[in-house]
Amino acid sequence: MYRLFVLFTAAFLSISSTAYASVDFSGKTITWVVPFKEGGGTSRFARFIQPFLTKYLPGNPDIQVMHIPGGGAIKGSNYFQKNAVPDGTFIFGCSTSVIVNVATGNPLVEYNLSEYRPVLLLPQNTHWFTRSDLVNEPHDMSKLIERDLVLYALKTPASADLFHIWVFDKLGLKGAKPIPGLSSSGGYQAFLRGEIHISSHGAANYVKKVKPEIDKGKIVDLMTLGIIDADGTVSRNPLAPNAPTFPEMYEKINGEKLAGDDLEAFYSIGAAWSQASKSMLLPQGTPDEIVQAFRDAATKMVNDPEFKEKATKALGPFPLIIGEEAGAIVKKAAIFSDKTKEQLNDVLKKNRFTYRVK
Amino acid sequence: MEQLFSALLQLFEINHLAFLFAGTLLGLVVGILPGMGGTSGLALVLPFVFTLEPSHALAMMIGVLAPTTTSDTFPAVLMGVPGTAGSQATVMDGFPLAKKGMAARALSAAFTSSLLGGIFGALILSISIYYAVPIIMAFGFGEQFLLVVLALLMVGALTGENFIKGVTACFLGLIIGSIGTAPITGDPRFTFNSLYLIEGVPLVVVGLGLFAIPEIVGLLDSKGAIAKTLKNEKGWILGIQDVFRNWFLVLRCSTLGCLVGALPGLGGTVVDWIAYSHLKQTSKDTSQFGKGDIRGVIAPESANNAKEGGALIPTLIFGIPGSGNKVLLLGGFVLIGIEPGLDMVTTNLDLTYLMIWSLAIANILAAGLCIGFASHISKFTLVPYYILAPVMVCLIFFATFNINRDWYDFIGLLGFGLIGITFKNFGWSRPALLIGFFLSTKVELLSYQTHAVYGFSFIYRPVSIILIILCLATILLLLKQKFDSNYNSENINNKKHQILFVLFLLFLPLTMIWLTSSLDYRANLFPISLSIITIILLIFVLFVKFADLREINSFENSIMRFANTNIYERGRGFNNQLYYYSSFIGYLAMNFIFGFPLASVFFINLFILYHNGNAYKVSLTIAAVMMLILWMLSSLLTLQFPNGLIGLIVDMPWWLGGRLN
Repeated sequence: MYRLFVLFTAAFLSISSTAYASVDFSGKTITWVVPFKEGGGTSRFARFIQPFLTKYLPGNPDIQVMHIPGGGAIKGSNYFQKNAVPDGTFIFGCSTSVIVNVATGNPLVEYNLSEYRPVLLLPQNTHWFTRSDLVNEPHDMSKLIERDLVLYALKTPASADLFHIWVFDKLGLKGAKPIPGLSSSGGYQAFLRGEIHISSHGAANYVKKVKPEIDKGKIVDLMTLGIIDADGTVSRNPLAPNAPTFPEMYEKINGEKLAGDDLEAFYSIGAAWSQASKSMLLPQGTPDEIVQAFRDAATKMVNDPEFKEKATKALGPFPLIIGEEAGAIVKKAAIFSDKTKEQLNDVLKKNRFTYRVK
Repeated sequence: MEQLFSALLQLFEINHLAFLFAGTLLGLVVGILPGMGGTSGLALVLPFVFTLEPSHALAMMIGVLAPTTTSDTFPAVLMGVPGTAGSQATVMDGFPLAKKGMAARALSAAFTSSLLGGIFGALILSISIYYAVPIIMAFGFGEQFLLVVLALLMVGALTGENFIKGVTACFLGLIIGSIGTAPITGDPRFTFNSLYLIEGVPLVVVGLGLFAIPEIVGLLDSKGAIAKTLKNEKGWILGIQDVFRNWFLVLRCSTLGCLVGALPGLGGTVVDWIAYSHLKQTSKDTSQFGKGDIRGVIAPESANNAKEGGALIPTLIFGIPGSGNKVLLLGGFVLIGIEPGLDMVTTNLDLTYLMIWSLAIANILAAGLCIGFASHISKFTLVPYYILAPVMVCLIFFATFNINRDWYDFIGLLGFGLIGITFKNFGWSRPALLIGFFLSTKVELLSYQTHAVYGFSFIYRPVSIILIILCLATILLLLKQKFDSNYNSENINNKKHQILFVLFLLFLPLTMIWLTSSLDYRANLFPISLSIITIILLIFVLFVKFADLREINSFENSIMRFANTNIYERGRGFNNQLYYYSSFIGYLAMNFIFGFPLASVFFINLFILYHNGNAYKVSLTIAAVMMLILWMLSSLLTLQFPNGLIGLIVDMPWWLGGRLN
């Protein structure tokens, strides 16, 4: 009797699952490859999302995060390209630096990122700020533009920090000079000591470290990168609603709207730096129904009350981007047009760097 | 203040205590094994701490570090062999005391003064954290640059018994550290276009290779000094009374230990000798020193434990290691995503307090366990090395593989192991090499950053001037102390090999120059200048070695002392050690063919049976226990075993090295 009951239930379950979704991961283990060290941002992102995915994916599969650090994230990414099976049992944890490796034409890259199938993107935003004695008032860069020397932190030109050089060049800061080898936290310390003039932080550290100093009047906001919407309009960052976005600042200083090659470069940079800051992708050639199952799970996850409660603290204030829109962003971030590459190489040359985007 | 106590409450959560306790136990064991110290212990746990929450990981790492200088007293007193580099001076009076039948008194005095010293160190650390913000703000690029350079000078000058070889070891470390992507331009240096070297040589590989491997072969070679047993020993209370009778000595030596520990780069190997000579200079009755004076145990033990707290000061606020094992601690910080500096005393203050409490509690735990279970713990000194060694080698291989899951790491491990063995036997400083390696990128970046912001004007800033004077004075003072020993070239072994080794070392700077000369000047200025200085230093060493070979003693005695073998790192059985080392290569080959689990079972059994043909019960049991522990670890932490060639042909289950799913 019992056996019959089990059979019956099993049959019923299998029918019902085919009725609602043909994808089922029961009893399977999904490997989430993260090409970074444990404890880094992408690892924390993966570990935060992991339990929710298990909960909402059909069949509640186990998900294990596999870290393969090394070679500037290229080793793990290449590993994924070679080993991932496109049946939903492999996910890739991607971040700006993984994308920048592709966009800047690193010869060691073997992964075909622009063909991957994005499930969700986690945006981030950049805040630029300076000391209050270096400007007339907040959001005003005219004094800085005239200065002979404006030092800022730059980790290495072969990273996403390269975009800082482009930003300051487009704003016409003649005295802008990068100080290499400074992480954002090291750069911020040097900034507090008065050794560099402009500093920047992502949203989380901006709230935690910079905001209190702004309230004390020591630091003033300059601008933010701005939030790029699906239709290309750029809106202000809710964390610093009074600060202009980069396109606004560009217009104020240059007297004309950000357009043409500059706008195209901005969209690519914004996609890589901000919109696809962290992302979760499925390998090239994953069937549509599996991609859809993941996207459905992600949508359910976003509406989970527990997720809502914890997400702002763990992931930041910006809503996740889920679905087809994400694909366009990753493509834009991973494939820089020749014009954009030329622009980046120009500013690299101006700053006497030997590194070139290929 | 509030955070200070909330950190204490946090630590008393069961999880934190469990990790702290586990770390402390491991630290105790590593401390007892002669030669193994905090550096090897931390290198072993580092590949696994990332899976833990940051606060748990910190409790565990501090737990490993804190007790090593407490438990290292067991071999120092019972066998006359220092358990770590920090207890060399303890042997001077500790061993004679044991011979007189007062081992228990010596041990309990040592543990009590260790405990007091350790807590004193934690106290000083928490006070200095309180004043750290203005200090950090006063240290710009220029001051940090000076601090790093002086750290390198100090560690080079003082961790060996001679100046030139110490400094050369530092420079060799700096060159090895400059391998990888050039931080300023992004050019690859010395990478041979491979992915493996693009981020440089992994720190854990260098740490395990330089420190753990040489100690294991050293242990095997020593065949086990006869340890005294602690049966029916009395005098535990007397030892504690001794310490409290000499409370002022404990206070002075703890202060000394803290100060020396806080000097960047230094600490570790010298602090016990400094305390010992301080004791000698300030005592009226010196007749019993070296023959079993209890004060000769109290002074170095309180100093070498107090230095841990002191050494954490530069480590936490500047990211400049206060001693060799702090390099690994900083490596652990990177793994769990903590950056030393301002954050440690502001936004991450709770973690800093957690470390301070962990340090204090680990010290209490360690001293308590050592006194309470002395006769049991001391039995560790009786375990034959041929049983310990293969187990340790398997653990090291397992840890190494889990850094990057890369076979190249094994080659790196054995390569640095060979360098470590040679360094140890030929009197080159391993801490200097490690610290140079670790600080290399920092030196390069800071020199560039200082130049960009200040030019050369940074030397005239007040803090810079104070720093220069302070540290030069320290170096001169300490060097003067070291010149008291005598030099005699007849005591030097392997003279020809030593010359060959210097010639071999010349390859590194020469290759570096050859490989980087075509790069942009901002990418090659640093490695090429380092290489040129290193070549000059090596040629000088070579010249002295030739003088040794010919037994030319017409040189000024002091010059020879300046550049020769040091007395603490002189091994006898270099060839024996190489012989043991070669068995590790065999183990690597087995790994390559059969995969890690099978290879380890073979290796442990073969190794033990080779040394004792009748011990098959022991060898089988140990192999089985070892594998059980590793399987448990790997399923808990989703770690993978190295898969061998067989695994490529036959599909293996995960517990034999197959894929995880």
